[in-house]
Amino acid sequence: MHVVVCAKQIPDPANPGRLSPDTHTLVREGKLVLDDSDAYGVELGLQLAEATGGEVTLVSMAPHDETSGLRTALAMGAARAILVSDDALAGSDALSTAKVLAAAVRRAEPDLVLTATESTDGYTGTVPVQLAELLGMPSVSFAKRLAVKDGVVHADRQTEAGYDEVEVPLPAVVSVTAGVVEPRYPSFKGIMAAKNKPIERLGLSDLGIDPATVGLAGARQEVVSVVAAEARDAGEIVVDEGDAHERIVAFLEQLKVI
Amino acid sequence: MTDFDEPAETAMLRESVAKVTAEFGPRYYQERAARGGRTIELWQALGDAGFVGVNLPERYGGGGGGVAQLAVVCEETAAGGCPLLLLLVSSAISGEILSRHGSEEQQARWLPGLASGREKMVFAITEPDAGSNSHRISTTATRDGDDWVLTGTKYYISGVDEAPRMLVVARTSTEGRSGGDSSDLSLFVVDTNAPGLDRTPIPVEVGAPEKQFQLHFDAVRVGPDRLVGTAGDGLRLVFSGLNPERIAGAAICTGIGRYALAKAAGYARDRQVWGQPIGAHQGVSHPLAAAAIGVELARLMTEKAAWLHDHDRPAGEASNMAKFAAADAGLGALDAAIQVHGGNGMASDYRLAHLWGMLRLLRIAPVSREMILNYVAQHTLGLPRSY
Ligand SMILES: Cc1cc2nc3c(=O)[nH]c(=O)nc-3n(C[C@H](O)[C@H](O)[C@H](O)COP(=O)(O)OP(=O)(O)OC[C@H]3O[C@@H](n4cnc5c(N)ncnc54)[C@H](O)[C@@H]3O)c2cc1C
Repeated sequence: MHVVVCAKQIPDPANPGRLSPDTHTLVREGKLVLDDSDAYGVELGLQLAEATGGEVTLVSMAPHDETSGLRTALAMGAARAILVSDDALAGSDALSTAKVLAAAVRRAEPDLVLTATESTDGYTGTVPVQLAELLGMPSVSFAKRLAVKDGVVHADRQTEAGYDEVEVPLPAVVSVTAGVVEPRYPSFKGIMAAKNKPIERLGLSDLGIDPATVGLAGARQEVVSVVAAEARDAGEIVVDEGDAHERIVAFLEQLKVI
Repeated sequence: MTDFDEPAETAMLRESVAKVTAEFGPRYYQERAARGGRTIELWQALGDAGFVGVNLPERYGGGGGGVAQLAVVCEETAAGGCPLLLLLVSSAISGEILSRHGSEEQQARWLPGLASGREKMVFAITEPDAGSNSHRISTTATRDGDDWVLTGTKYYISGVDEAPRMLVVARTSTEGRSGGDSSDLSLFVVDTNAPGLDRTPIPVEVGAPEKQFQLHFDAVRVGPDRLVGTAGDGLRLVFSGLNPERIAGAAICTGIGRYALAKAAGYARDRQVWGQPIGAHQGVSHPLAAAAIGVELARLMTEKAAWLHDHDRPAGEASNMAKFAAADAGLGALDAAIQVHGGNGMASDYRLAHLWGMLRLLRIAPVSREMILNYVAQHTLGLPRSY
């Protein structure tokens, strides 16, 4: 099975992010890293591919030909990567991103496309379904478990109440939750092998996409203002006087968590 | 000019080792050390990822990297609060000696286990009367037919309980013994459960999970296949493992130094005593800054030493200087970090003070600070040999 995993490269979340003052979009400069939430898709893709003698192709859209994050995923075991990088893509909204990813994914002719449910730096959470729509493939979102048998994806789809068991035929787009599998860390052999794995670099013209329809120029979404999130109140501290468990249970019941 | 860009692969190796280590973390290490447990799971996880054998030949399951990569593994595990003494012993000294001087058959037999992390090979040279002065080694290996029979005493041998085999330095001819001649030393691979081999733990205050042993060899018999290299050539072979051992030791020290400084900086940013973070007082920040400079300088020399060794250049001077500088810098950093923590610096829960023993040990072993100064005085400065 040939699995395409969409892998976003993001500014290192360990460093404080910055918004551009005029466009209110995230400043993406310097070294980018593989979004942790995509590591799950990469791992799952690798497990599915390894079980069927297939391969994983990564697809990523990132500024300045950035490949550091892709190298991490290649070191985990992906066979190759397609990187779309074009100055005209700066300021792209979710739909533009989905258009670009769809064009790149199509070239790879996958049996299955995996994404995260949302990225750690943008978290609109809309790209996976937009991508499926543009590719004309069925989609399952929020898969917390996934198996493929006889050309059919069997997924447990996380819901507020529990999970739904969903089946869709391949090819399909599936967004996976963190924890769907435990991502491996790149081994030394993987790291050294990644050096020589191919990364195909594409611009908008290679994909036949009109620059006017993507990026800031084509964005249908505009961030008009940004306000700081309200600071949360300090939580309630339960001091155990023998009844802590009861008070915690009561608190959780009141939140309808249990 | 020298290129100081860290290659992408090295950065990725650092990150991956740090992540594997973080799955276990300082608390795991501290608890294992305190309760006399071992850090087998961490070792195995590092082995599975190819990090324990990163410097061993690829054809035996190793990573095909060099001591530079092994130093990264040593440093990042230590920086993650888990300094692993046996990396220095098994991967650095035993692994390097075997892969450079073992026969094809010996390599095929023992290197795969070391590379995968399934087995360790510890190293026994020190004796009660032969530490800094290895010319005085008195453990003998005498020929008996095709076999060799070992008799004598070794002490402070680390990790004997964790390894199926060890490399032992013994005297194969007694002729030069009175004159302290080292041309009679040879290297043997001995099973740690061999008949006639007795071990007694030596209680130490190192605070590490690895245990040290006194070993008595009472006519321990090994076959001819256990001699590494040729008889009488032992010291030369040992020398090829000494630089890797020093470099690995240095990397453990700089790793602990980074660990301590990161904790101290975090604490100094948060802790308020007079209404502002204590890090705002230069009396607090300057010792940390000075320690950071020491650690960075030691890291540079450690990298240089590893590069020289991996490129088959003379690396003795750089390895010695790196080990010297790193042990001092690590201790300085840890001490500064403890001071910044006030009373908490001594608390088990702050996980600093227990690392003192490891750094203190690395000022003595594998080669002492004084013997390094002797070396630099003699070889770098051309001063007369003092002993
Ligand atoms: C926890 C621990 C683990 C160890 N693990 C191992 C192991 O796995 N395998 C192994 O073989 N060994 C091991 N050792 C032994 C270690 O390598 C030796 O302790 C070290 O080499 C010093 O030798 P020594 O103890 O005999 O000290 P000595 O040689 O007796 O030296 C005593 C002091 O005198 C100084 N000194 C000696 N000669 C001179 C001189 N000419 N000029 C100036 N000063 C001098 C030394 O620097 C030192 O400060 C370990 C030791 C410890 C404590």
